[in-house]
Amino acid sequence: MNLAFAMTAASPALLSIWLLPLVGAIVIWTLGPQLRRNAGYLGSAFVLVSFALALANFGAAGNATGLRAPLVTWGPGFAFGLQLDALSLLWTLVITGVGGLIHIYSIGYMWTDRAIARFFAYLNFFVFSMLTLVLADNVVGLLVGWGLVGLASYFLIGFWFYKPTAVAAARKAFVINVFGDIGIMFAIFACYAATGSIAFSDIFAKAGTFSEPLVLAICIGLFIGAMAKSAQVPLHTWLPDAMEGPTPVSALIHAATMVTAGVYLIARFAPLWNLSPTAQEMVAVVGAITMVTGAILGMAQWDIKRILACSTMSQIGYMIMGVGVGAYQAGVLHFFTHAFFKAQLFLGAGLIIHALGDEQDVRKMGGLYRKMPFTFAAMLTGTLAIIGFPFFSGFYSKDAIIYEALEHGHPILFFAGALTAGITAYYMFRMLFVTFFGSYRGDVPDAMLAIAPPVPGAYAAHDDGHVEHAPTWLMQAPVAVLMVPTVIAGYLTIGGESSPWYRYFGTLFGHGGNVAGVPLAIPEWASTIFVLVLVTLGIVVAYLRYGNPPALIGAVDRLRGEALKMPPVLAHAFYVDALIATAIVRPANALGGAISRYVDPHVIDAGVRDVAWVAGMLGALFRALQTGLVRAYALTIVVGAACFIAYFAYLGTAR
Amino acid sequence: MPVDIANYISLSTVIFFIGVIGVVTRRNPLIVLMSIELMFNAANLAIVAFSKLWGNNAGHIFVFLVVTVAAAEAAIGLAIVVQVFRRAKHVDLDEVAGLRG
Repeated sequence: MNLAFAMTAASPALLSIWLLPLVGAIVIWTLGPQLRRNAGYLGSAFVLVSFALALANFGAAGNATGLRAPLVTWGPGFAFGLQLDALSLLWTLVITGVGGLIHIYSIGYMWTDRAIARFFAYLNFFVFSMLTLVLADNVVGLLVGWGLVGLASYFLIGFWFYKPTAVAAARKAFVINVFGDIGIMFAIFACYAATGSIAFSDIFAKAGTFSEPLVLAICIGLFIGAMAKSAQVPLHTWLPDAMEGPTPVSALIHAATMVTAGVYLIARFAPLWNLSPTAQEMVAVVGAITMVTGAILGMAQWDIKRILACSTMSQIGYMIMGVGVGAYQAGVLHFFTHAFFKAQLFLGAGLIIHALGDEQDVRKMGGLYRKMPFTFAAMLTGTLAIIGFPFFSGFYSKDAIIYEALEHGHPILFFAGALTAGITAYYMFRMLFVTFFGSYRGDVPDAMLAIAPPVPGAYAAHDDGHVEHAPTWLMQAPVAVLMVPTVIAGYLTIGGESSPWYRYFGTLFGHGGNVAGVPLAIPEWASTIFVLVLVTLGIVVAYLRYGNPPALIGAVDRLRGEALKMPPVLAHAFYVDALIATAIVRPANALGGAISRYVDPHVIDAGVRDVAWVAGMLGALFRALQTGLVRAYALTIVVGAACFIAYFAYLGTAR
Repeated sequence: MPVDIANYISLSTVIFFIGVIGVVTRRNPLIVLMSIELMFNAANLAIVAFSKLWGNNAGHIFVFLVVTVAAAEAAIGLAIVVQVFRRAKHVDLDEVAGLRG
């Protein structure tokens, strides 16, 4: 084994970006009881320094090959290193930037939690894992990061481990994600067998020589991983359940970063995908199905975080569809804008949940517009961005995906995308109307709607039950910062081919294959208007059902009734959980039961028993000889000796 | 005239089988020990006879060794018999069967 360390000029910066969050996690974990709330500030600092370093390397990462730092070589073709190219850099910036903001927000959100240090240790560990995923220059490093983010996600979903539902959700997420890991593992085996190397560059260089079935097999393996991690149908069921974790976790892991790892994976392996139109077709169709499914499920949720979770699913569906049809830049752009507005929506929801004393049911909200103007502004901006309202960031990215689906020759996906945009507008405005308009329907007293500035430093509840809140700015400032890119992030693409965005990513993806003849050629503005009409329609329907004054009268009773009238197929989320239970869990249980009832006692145990029985029989046989009678032994000796003598005598006569 | 070697061997065989029969048939350990002594000495007689026949004195030396071992064996055997008697208040070999499997 050849263990060689190579340090290049690029190493220190890259290594720091990568390892600082790990250092933070270790320090916070070690000194947790001493640090308590300071763990939050420390953790945020580590992540933000990492962000600053990534930003400082913006230019270097933008050129054709990016920054590279080979670290360890275990053997020929088996080298581990870091690589910061445009794609990695984008993810790194979002992970550390949005991640840093969410860290700061979490200080306020977890203010009264006794385990706040543990929370930040996990959060920093997550950032490190995610950086491993996107910075690795080889498939094995990517898989290691891929597994570690699943682990971090498991820790954080189950952070409140005294809630059985949280533990169940954490386990579900982990199991489904591990299923995806296996897919990636097989893809890695295939890549290594075909090229003898694990480095991305080697694999992509030789990708042209792969046979068509091999490419398809690798792509399917990778896509199984992407489906599990990015909550694509039918492996999506863990994502709504994952909302059991603290809200900042939902914002960071289950909206902005980890769940988009599937998009990263496909964009990273673009050279392979470009070789297999079949694989691209598969990705695009699954993405589209998820997109529509998520949106339809979003219409039927009452839990504010589950609404957002379903919308996350739907938006990732957009991204996956985008990279699937070959519109890599549009898909990656949607990841970029989505990270901002979805994080902002989750953090805004967190503000509401926090103020209402952990209430997540939108039916028990209402009228919050007056009491929480800042939160309303945040949620409104986020909503406008996610539905693709003109001149908000989502408008640019979502439109690009929808139009490019058509441009790459997928009219059905185009219509699905446009329709989903309409549904998205409906359910997001439904949430907005129910939450912020009408009259307050919950039971938290007005004084407790404590958006009032609190006293920092207090840890426990006062005698009168009033709980001290963290400084308001701690939670509001990150949201306010996020509002900026939520609005303007899309402007990077203005100017089409010559925009900063396209120039930066232009070198990264080959030409997106799959550009078939365009059967329904319409100009981009027509597509945009078509989408906008559907979006407006969605808003209008939402207004008629939930927003206008007559609809708001008696809203509580009506909303309760509506929950009962919900079509069972929606109430059960298309029976996917039930299907998985019927198709996989129950057969597996039955198999296990059958094995424990038949194979275990009659084969395994029986084998062991038979061996013991043979030994017992031999023992019984020899026990008969052990009479304890000395004279019997003597006789045996005599007879034995006689036999010997007879034998040798016989030999003597024979000779 | 020297005695024919066959006489020595015959005598030795007879004595040896008297010993064997004693060991196998008697239940008194003292008799058994004496029978074992008989067998030892039958063997000694045979060894000495052969030693004389071949003119090789190694046989004589070997007999001394056997006599010594026989003395030690008798001492230990008698000690065991005494211990058995103390414990069981009898010395019937067939009753001393605690090691039966």
